[in-house]
Amino acid sequence: MSWEKFMTYLPSLLEGSVNTILLTIVSVMFGAVLGLFLALGRLSKNKAVDRVCWFYIWVFRGTPLLMQLYFIYYGLPKISESLTLPGQWPSALLALSLNSAAYLAEIIRAAIQSIDKGQMEAAKALGMSYKQAMTRIIIPQSYRRLIPPVGNELIALLKDSSLVSIMGMIELMKITQGIASRESSAAIYIPAAALYLVMTTLFTYIFEKLEKKYSVYE
Amino acid sequence: MIKMEKVCKSFGPLEVLKNIDLEVKKGEVVCIIGPSGSGKSTLLRSLNHLERITSGRVYIDGELIDEKVDGKDQIKISHKKVAEICAELGMVFQRFNLFPHMTVLENVIEAPITVRNLPRQDTVNFAIELLKKVGLEDKKDEYPSRLSGGQQQRVAIARALAMKPKIMLFDEPTSALDPELVGEVLSVMKELAREGMTMVVVTHEMGFAREVASRVIFMDKGEILEEAAPDEIFSNPKHERTKSFLQKVL
Repeated sequence: MSWEKFMTYLPSLLEGSVNTILLTIVSVMFGAVLGLFLALGRLSKNKAVDRVCWFYIWVFRGTPLLMQLYFIYYGLPKISESLTLPGQWPSALLALSLNSAAYLAEIIRAAIQSIDKGQMEAAKALGMSYKQAMTRIIIPQSYRRLIPPVGNELIALLKDSSLVSIMGMIELMKITQGIASRESSAAIYIPAAALYLVMTTLFTYIFEKLEKKYSVYE
Repeated sequence: MIKMEKVCKSFGPLEVLKNIDLEVKKGEVVCIIGPSGSGKSTLLRSLNHLERITSGRVYIDGELIDEKVDGKDQIKISHKKVAEICAELGMVFQRFNLFPHMTVLENVIEAPITVRNLPRQDTVNFAIELLKKVGLEDKKDEYPSRLSGGQQQRVAIARALAMKPKIMLFDEPTSALDPELVGEVLSVMKELAREGMTMVVVTHEMGFAREVASRVIFMDKGEILEEAAPDEIFSNPKHERTKSFLQKVL
């Protein structure tokens, strides 16, 4: 593929990259919120709550993301018309959020459990409720420990987000595939791979900075 | 202020407290001594629900806060009520347990603000007074990891005092400290005792017990074996096991 050709395709590759990043970040944000509740559920003394959260994590970590995507995009509308999601973005976001929530839940649970037991005791001895102790004392201390594994999860999700191309969602993978078939050449995959590398490197860098920032008190 | 009636506690088959009867009056400083594993810390921790007793009754300031028979609750007590009572009891731990993500000042003002909803400025002023009292006013903006063990423990005492507790519980407050740092913590505790604070102190510092305690309790294997004024217990112990323990530590 000539340089000129590549340059004409670059804007669409970049547009795809922006979608890939958006998809990843928004999914991780939704996933983190849901993951936090799942983690707290797993730590709950209420057996039923623990079981439900365990089951969720078991299903979403134990089945291929690709199947989860198929199920949400093609399966749900078959079950009931009313379950049809409006377009590809919502389907892709939903699938990636639900999936990353399962992984993030285990990351968050491990981080919370790694906080010294004395911290909860000190908080209780000062008269704090479980909720106050969690939100003021335990969870803030888990942030720094969360940063490295959440960084890994974000990078994994960024690459996995290429799977949403199967439902025709316009992101870096889908665009690259389109160009490759139009040009009858796989050469475009090389700059596309480079773009994935740039994105993952960027996230790695950001997470290293965050880790430094949050280790001030250690 | 504190009353325990027939308190038993087991961890599985292991009985750590056997039929403990104890009363602590306002203004008393009670030191609990005894070999490790004798149940001293468990006794202290069952006063603020950090350990739940298996049977017996615990009263704090006239209120029944735990009553059990065979591990079953006999009274209904809400989490909120427990938290309220815990807030009346200041606790100082062996390993300090300061909040590492907060500065010294933030550690001290945290509970009064979140638990009692006190106005921030008043709390900060009171906290600085307390930090002056423990001699650490100049460290108020440091993180705990920057402080020595003795300094951390003094902050922990200030943090507990910030809730204006009626009783202070000390769980081996100097056991994790380097020997040269023990004195600074003990002198803060002596000052508190002089001011009339009701205190229960689990300790291995016999000198402190002798000088400050109004009463010394000797525990072994989950039982209170002997209970007397410090002069009496140190110079004239009645029980064989008390004698042999004191011979080893004095």
